[in-house]
Parts: sequence; structure tokens; C-alpha cells
Amino acid sequence: MIPPVPRPTRRFANGLAGLAGLAGLMALVTVATGCAAGTGSGSGGGTGQGITSLTVLDYYTDRTEHAQWDAMLSTCGERAGVRVEHTSVPGASLVPKVLQQASARTLPDLLMLDNGDLQQIAQTGALTPLDQYGIDTGGFAEPILTAGSYQGKVYGLAPYVSTIALFYNEDMLAEAGVAVPRTWDELKEAAARLTRPGRYGMAVDANAGFESSWQFLPFLWSNGGDEKQLDTPQAAEALRLWVDLVNSGSMAKSVLNWTQADLHDQFAAGRTAMMINGPWRIPALNQDPGLHWAVAPLPVPRAGQTPVTPLGGEVWTVPRSSSRERQEKAAQVLACLTEPSNMLTLADQHVTVPSRPAVAAEYARRNPSAAVFVEGVANARARTAQLGVRWPKAATGIHTAIQSALTGRQTPEEALRQAQRIATGD
Amino acid sequence: MKRARGRGPLSTVVGIVLLALMLFPVYWMVNASLQPAGSTLRGGWFPLHPDFGGYAVALREQGRNLLTSLLVSLGSVVLGLGLAAPAAHALARFPLRGTRAVLLAVLVTQMVPGIVVADALYDAYAGLGLLDSYLGLVLADSTAGVPFAIIILHAFMRTIPGEIIEAARMDGAGRLRVFRSVVLPLSTNALVTAAVFTFLFSWSDFLFALTLTSTPSVRPITLGIYEYLGAHTDQWNAVMATSVLASLPAALLLVLSQRFVTAGATSGALR
Amino acid sequence: MTDRSGPWARLSRWMFVLPAAAYLLLFFGYPVVRNAVMSFQQYSATTFYTGAAPFVGLRNYATVLSSDAFVQALPTTVLFTAGSVLGQFAVGLALALFFRRGFPLGGVLRSLLLLPWLLPLVVSGTTWRWMLDPETGVVNAVLRGLHLSSTGVPWLTGTSQALLSVILVNVWVGVPFATAILYGGLQDIPPSLYEAAKLDGAGPVATFRHLTWPLLRPVARVVLLLGVVYTLKVLDIILVVTGGGPAGATQTLATRAYELSFQQFEFGRGAVLSNVLIGVSFVFALLHLRADRRARAL
Repeated sequence: MIPPVPRPTRRFANGLAGLAGLAGLMALVTVATGCAAGTGSGSGGGTGQGITSLTVLDYYTDRTEHAQWDAMLSTCGERAGVRVEHTSVPGASLVPKVLQQASARTLPDLLMLDNGDLQQIAQTGALTPLDQYGIDTGGFAEPILTAGSYQGKVYGLAPYVSTIALFYNEDMLAEAGVAVPRTWDELKEAAARLTRPGRYGMAVDANAGFESSWQFLPFLWSNGGDEKQLDTPQAAEALRLWVDLVNSGSMAKSVLNWTQADLHDQFAAGRTAMMINGPWRIPALNQDPGLHWAVAPLPVPRAGQTPVTPLGGEVWTVPRSSSRERQEKAAQVLACLTEPSNMLTLADQHVTVPSRPAVAAEYARRNPSAAVFVEGVANARARTAQLGVRWPKAATGIHTAIQSALTGRQTPEEALRQAQRIATGD
Repeated sequence: MKRARGRGPLSTVVGIVLLALMLFPVYWMVNASLQPAGSTLRGGWFPLHPDFGGYAVALREQGRNLLTSLLVSLGSVVLGLGLAAPAAHALARFPLRGTRAVLLAVLVTQMVPGIVVADALYDAYAGLGLLDSYLGLVLADSTAGVPFAIIILHAFMRTIPGEIIEAARMDGAGRLRVFRSVVLPLSTNALVTAAVFTFLFSWSDFLFALTLTSTPSVRPITLGIYEYLGAHTDQWNAVMATSVLASLPAALLLVLSQRFVTAGATSGALR
Repeated sequence: MTDRSGPWARLSRWMFVLPAAAYLLLFFGYPVVRNAVMSFQQYSATTFYTGAAPFVGLRNYATVLSSDAFVQALPTTVLFTAGSVLGQFAVGLALALFFRRGFPLGGVLRSLLLLPWLLPLVVSGTTWRWMLDPETGVVNAVLRGLHLSSTGVPWLTGTSQALLSVILVNVWVGVPFATAILYGGLQDIPPSLYEAAKLDGAGPVATFRHLTWPLLRPVARVVLLLGVVYTLKVLDIILVVTGGGPAGATQTLATRAYELSFQQFEFGRGAVLSNVLIGVSFVFALLHLRADRRARAL
């Protein structure tokens, strides 16, 4: 989907590039309204004392995942003395749905959002700041608090976060006698040596959507580039790396169409030796006993540097509703979700990283294969940290530039000049 | 057609070949639905070891959505014909002023992008409590069928000789009686054609389903498939099995109704 | 029947039309008017909650119609529409002529031909995307197998090939409909005329040129008109198969309208493009009606 806002985290990863579009479309469709139709919030419960149920909306449509969240939400709801009505919609249609609901005043009591979308929704005035409920935001990693904040106030908290890293096929690297690449030069060389008929060395998501902007960010940032100024030599160097990989034949030109889910398919089928992806792919990769894979930090321009990666993960928010009491109840459930023990449970279930560094350290001890992501998250940056609600424009500029440069329509420099115009345009 | 006999078998073979070419993507879908779960990139040209796991999953998880689609599509047929048939009759038979304008307006509705309609409906539905309801979906899904049915039925009913109707009127039948007992029975083929198309429009709707529903209680199969695409990228077989199941009723309907479906009505209608 | 009856009878006649007319007004009239109003307003994400969308006159029109994206999408839309409509028409006519010959199982085959039309576009689009994948797709595998192409065609990754691909898929989706209507049109031509032509010694080409085509023209015009109207609105196919890429090569006015409204939440600007689409369709409809009237007058 081409969701309205960059949502390259797991859900975003839904399979079809365009589908996304479609979906978004659909869902969103409606949004355009201006005036509010009804008043009052979700259907359950009444106002005042007798609040017996809360409505919850997220994008965990996967059956297993939905059930796991259902259990967690019920447990936390029970503690707050309410029943939870839990609904999941497809990832691509979540933001459209939320905007619709904001306009019709039918928002749920508790709402999950991708962290990249939070500022945009908070800007509409549909969410409430969490400080008024006495929720303690201490102990959370700084980047996720930044992503959950709008104009200095925290509106959303995440139980867990994630980022992306380099997945590689151990057997293929061993057979080709290639070490795990740590720098860009090593990446180019390794990718070339791993390429065989019917197989490419490397794969990234360069699809015409926000997912590719998300995958490009670590290359941009690690090279000293910045989303505020896209037409810089640093950015051009990063883009040239991708162009070189394609032009040298180490990366399929089809990356122009591939989403993160497609990368997974290619990797699992042995058609690419390395790919960029996130930890949410691990359960599916583990299902294939014949596939020997491992994860490494993303290569950096020069040896010794630390990669800067984008922060993924969903934040939970309390939308404005008809009664303060409903909001209080929802906030209690939210606080419960982000308690260390629940955080650990959720992170284990979803193979992601707890958003409190102290809990994450414990988690890394228990899950060595997730260590790369735990480290990565420590250096991750929120997509909206610098540009806030203007990030979607920059993201549009970035994926437009990637497509123009990879098709050879423009040089990286030209493409990024245009990207900058899009990013700063009206 | 008498001429047909002579060149029969050869034409049939050619026809089958042409159809096979046209339907190859459909075959590919069926093929994918019979592969084991996992990456589609490993599948072969033929499902040599068909795996029905995808179908088991599809029936278990999407059975209810199939039923919803069926209900909504049938509702849409009833509503579509209920609105279109009297209107078509009146436009064809009564000298009303503005008939041409109405027909032009019907044509113009075909030009409105679906998003524009869906967008407006969400708002209106939120106020009326029609979101997540069968009625709301039936009403919205009929937007494709109603204009189409009016056009087809109008064209056909225009060809019913006026004398037949006059005769019935002479016998003292009222307008409603004439419509019910004379015009409708004469229009069976056109009605079936309109019904089939209305059903199909509604059956394949995705936009309205995605826009106007969000709970599992009212979820048509197209939306069920879409959710699959989002959540189960490692279960393409189930996605494709669901798609196959979703197209079965439609295919069945086509074959069963083909002797009624007067393509002539279709084309004449549009003239 | 003349209008000799009183007001009561006239009312009863209107009762036949009224429900349908009311339905069309509510479900088409209202959205169109609303869209027209929106095109003069400035929308942002905030609008959804606050409802504040100030009127900005023609500013949305000026911004949208002068943008690079519009300038790029315009020729793409023309190519996509012309290619799709002509492709659907040519293949549809060929199939209709073929099926008109009548042969065993012809009816069944003809109705099965409608199958592509019944599949949810999300699914058929996805299937096509796999089939056309330059690396792993079955289409390139066949081309390589037949030695028609050594490297394969970059169906989805070349800028001009991608446009060809979405046209191809759209033709595939539209052929069943074109075939059904054209077939119906052919059925309406009285067989006696063909008998007469045969007696006059006319060959198949001459028969088609002097008999079939002139009589089929009104139906053909309808197929072309509806083709244009439907193709201008096409959105899902493009979004699923190419997502508008690569590098915007398959971005049409419709996908651009979607992008403006649903990715950037510029509903006012998206509405401008929707209005442009409705306007263009309307012009085609008027041309059709004029040609129709002229044909009737002859």
C-alpha cells in the first residue's frame, strides 16, 4: 500500500506494492470530509461511572498476531475493569480509516499507529497528550519518545520497536568464500561475487512507495546525509551505491517493483544472497529448516562507522472521546501494555525489541539472534524527528529519486535535486 | 444458425485454444492455489503434487465472508431490478417529458470515479448508522448495477409492441397490472441479463467494502482476500485458493445463465 | 398512448421512475456536487478533525494543472487510454466475429470468456505482476524458451515497457466486456442480409467492409465510448501491477488523483483531477450523442 504516510514497519510490509495503493485507496477513500457528522465516541459503555467496555483499533490482522494482542488487551482491560472490543484493519487502510473516523467522531478509545504516522494524526487534534493521565514516560528509549511526540508532548507510547538490518544466506557466503560485508565497498564486492545465473547478490526495496524511502534512509544517514537537504553530495553518493549495484548486475533491476515482502520471497527462494529487512521476518524465515541465514548490521560508508537506521514500531494513543472517564480507562490499558513484563511478552511473541533499554538488554540476553536489532534500535532515528508532519513530502521525494536514478532516467544528482523540490514544494 | 454445423469441430478447437490463452492467468492462479504454503517462487508449471491445504485454510477462514458476498450481491440484484425495471418501463412506454435527459443522466453516472462516490457515502453513512451494515453495502454496491440495468431494460422494453400493452389496458388492467403481468414476463431474458451483471458488479466490489465496513461481521470476500494479502504473504496458496473459491459462484452463474443472457439486449441497450 | 389522462394518472406514471431517480440523485448527484465544491477548498489532515477547509478559489486548479506531475501524467493517460481502448476493441471484435460463426460449445466458451472480468482486480493484478516479473515471471520464461528473447523483456522495470504492460493487463480485463457487446451487435444484423451478400458473390472482406461494419458502427461507437470512460477511471490495475512506477512512467490522471487525495491528503487537489476526468468523459459522451443524432438523421 501506499499508505498515506510512510509506514515501513512490519505491517507496511504487506505484499503488493500497488496493492497498497489500492487498499489505501479504498479505505481512505472516504476521508475527505470536512464536517463532522455525529458526536460521541465508540459504542461500548456509557459515559460517567458505568464504563464497561472500550473499543480498540490496530492493524494486526494476522490471525496469530491478532489473537496474541487480543489476549494482552483483555488482560490489561480486565485490570482496568473493562471489556475490550478489539478490531484490526489492513495496515494500508488504517490511517485513512482513522481520518474518516476523526471526521465522523467515531474514533476508538485506544488506537495504534505506526510511529511515522503519529505526528500527522496528532496534528489534527484527534489525540490527547498522555501526561494528563499521569503515565510515566521515563525509561523509554529516546528515539521512540521523539517519534511518539508532537510539539513537545508525548501522544503515543510503543511496547516494542524495530529497525532494519542485512540478512544473508550463510551457505551462499561460505560457498563463495565471501565475508559478511561491513562497508559499502565490501558490499559491492560481495554482491558481485555472490551473483550467479538465476541469483543476485543483493536486494533492496526500491519500490515506488514509502517502503523504499525507509530502506534508503540508513544509507543516507550513515553517509552524513539528511532528509532536510536531499540535494547534497552525501545523498548522491548513497543513491549512487544503489545505482551501481543495479548497473553492475549484482542487484536485479526488478528491485524497482519489490516490496519488503517480495525481498523475503526472493531470499527464501534462494534467488538473492543478501537482503535488507526487519526482524518481523524472522518467524517466517525460521519455518524453513533448509535455509541457513543470519543477520548483520547494515554496511557503512567507511570501516568503523556505526550505521544509523530508521526506527520502526507502533505506538498506542488515546484519541479524544466523549468523556474524560473513557480516556482515563484507555490510558490505564495503555500504561499496562507498556509495563516491562508485558513488553517482554509482546517482544518475544513478535520478535521485536522492547522499547525500554533496560528491558531490551534482558531481551537480547534471551534472544541472541535479535542482538543485531537491539543494537540497531539503540542508534535508530525516528523518521519524523526532523521534519515532523512534513516527512511524507520528503519521503515522496526520496522514492521518486530512487526510481528515476535506478531506471536511468536521471543521474543521482539530478534525481535528488528534483527530490528536494518535491520535499519543499507546496 | 444452420451454417454452424459444417465448420463445427475445428472452430471449437480454435475456440478452446483462444479461451486457454485468455484464461491463462486464471490457470496460473489455480496453479498457485494448489502449491504448498510458502514462497510462490518455488512453484512449477503444473501442480504435480497438489496441496489442498490452501483450500482448507480458505474455507475455514473465509467461508463466512463468501456468504456475506453472496447475501450482499443477491440483495443488490433485488434492489437493482426493483429500481430499474419500473423506471425502464416508464421511460420506454410513457411519454414523459425529460426522458432523454434522464437517459443522458444515467449515461453520465458511468463517468463518476468510484472514489468520489465512496468518499461521499462514508460521511453520509456515518450519520445514518449505515456503516458496517448489509443494507449500506447493498445500497452502495448497486451504484454500478442500477444505471446499467436501466439502460439494458429500457432498450429491451422499447421493443415490446405497443399493441400488446394497449390490449391489456382495454381489458381493464391498471398500469401496475400491465407492468407485472405483461411487461415483466415478456422481458425475462433482459431481466436475467441485468440481474447477472448486477450480481457480478456487486460480487467484485472492493472499494465500497473497504471504505464502508471495518468489522468482521460484514466483510465481503474481496476484502477478506485483501486482508490476506496484507497479513499472510507466506500463504499465497491460501490467498489464491480463496480467489478461486470467490470466482466459482460467479463462473457457475455465468454458465447457468448463458442461454438467457441476451447479449443482443446488452448491445441494443447501449445504442 | 397519449397523455389524455388527468394529473392522477400522470403522477402514477412518475411513481415508476421516482425511486430510481431518487437513488441516482443520492448516490451520484450528491457525490459529484460535493466533489465539485471540494475542488475549491483547501484540505489538510487537520481538516478531518476540525472540519475547517477554507475556500481558496481557483488556487487548487492553478497548482495542480501547472505541476510537473500533471504534465507528465497527461500524455501517459492519453497513451494508456488509447492503447487500452483500441486493444480491447480490436481483440473484442475479432473474438466476436469468431464466435458469431456458431459452433458446438460456442455458447459455453463465450460465457467462460467473461471469467477474467469476475476476478477481483486485486487478485488478477497480483497474478499478472508475478507473470510479468522480469526475473521470475512465466512470460519471460516462455519468451526465453522460444528463443524470442535472450534476456527477457523488462516488463515492469523499463519505463516504456511498464506502460505497455499495464495497457496489456487492462486490455485483458476489458476484452470480455467488449466481446459480449460486439457479439450482441453482430447478432442483431439480420442473417438474410448475409445470405443476400453471399448470393451477390461478396467475399468475407467485402462483406465485412460493406455490410457488417456499417451496421455495427453504432454498437462499435458505444464500445469505444464506454472503453474511454472506464479506462480513464482505471486505478486498481495500475496500482497493483506497477504502483505508478517505474519513475512515474505509468502514473495517469486517475492514479495521480488517488495519490493527491489519499497519500498526501490534499483532497481539494485530488478533487480537481477527478473533475478533470469527469469533464473529459463528458466531452466524449457529448461527441457520441452528436454522432448518434447525425447517424439517426441520415
